[in-house]
Amino acid sequence: MTEPELIKGILQRDHRAFECLVNRYQKQVIKTASYFLGNMEDAEDLSQEIFIDIIYSINSFKQNSSLSTWIYRITVNKSLNMVKKQQRRGIMVRLESLFSHSAEHHTRHDPEPSISPDGVAEQEKRQLLHAAINRLPENQRIAFVLHKFDDQSYKQIAEIMKTGLPAVESLIHRAKLNLQQKLMYQFSEYKKT
Amino acid sequence: MECSQFKANLIDFRQGTLEEELHRSANLHLSSCPSCSRLMKGLDEVDELIEREKALDPGPFVATRILQRIDREFETPVAIKTPGWIRVLQPVAVALALICGILIGSNASKSDGVPADNLAKTTDNIEFLRSNLYISDFMDEDKVLDLNK
Ligand SMILES: [Zn+2]
Repeated sequence: MTEPELIKGILQRDHRAFECLVNRYQKQVIKTASYFLGNMEDAEDLSQEIFIDIIYSINSFKQNSSLSTWIYRITVNKSLNMVKKQQRRGIMVRLESLFSHSAEHHTRHDPEPSISPDGVAEQEKRQLLHAAINRLPENQRIAFVLHKFDDQSYKQIAEIMKTGLPAVESLIHRAKLNLQQKLMYQFSEYKKT
Repeated sequence: MECSQFKANLIDFRQGTLEEELHRSANLHLSSCPSCSRLMKGLDEVDELIEREKALDPGPFVATRILQRIDREFETPVAIKTPGWIRVLQPVAVALALICGILIGSNASKSDGVPADNLAKTTDNIEFLRSNLYISDFMDEDKVLDLNK
């Protein structure tokens, strides 16, 4: 199915077009979402809503860019919104635990860490990394994640973010500097303990 | 090279985009400074972590789950399959309903000063039809009869 055929099929709510859309873009959508959310399970759940959004808003796709670029934009937006929701929920959980002094409460909410061969919990490190990424300004975060995790070229990122190449270069450089500040001590300290 | 200068050039050093001479002196500093070399290891570890995360793939049944969700969202109402005998009886029932309507109409028009005997007979007929044909769609006709009583 060519891209115009696919778009036409989605507009006509054709089940075969839905199948083609999901098969063609599921990996892109889920992996990108997981890089923003920091875990695959949440990304898989969110991908359902992303595809529903794609289908509903396909008539607003102007075909100035490729379908893939447009899908990237929807994925990034939905993922960032989900991160915001999770952060709000996280604040609520922290507030709850502030008011609850039960030690049992804490042990129940801490996930069992998986220990990697070097003795440090991989999951914990990943959480540390994504917490740092999520503290970056939004534009820096988008550019950094698409570049570093998603292997997108500066040109592709510029298209997805609807901006110029120099802006993308600058965003990525600033993101790296910020992350370096946030992470290098955490990770090197982490290693010592 | 001082630690501060090394840190300031760290991104370019790691990307390999530092000028040759600067790169050499950064390397020299790295080999003699435990603090900066710990820092490098920390950032190497971040890169390795990202590479491991990039290698993760979605579960095998995720496409099926997405499609099920899409189907639920955009499902078109499936035509209700009616048994064959009902399909045969439907036109008959419609015809009977029409005949009853005509009968009731003509009875109603003649009903001024006429005893309700004929009307009762019609009700009996309908009951007979209903019990013999198992048709439960005569409710509206019953209502018409009630109104006429
Ligand atoms: Zn140093």
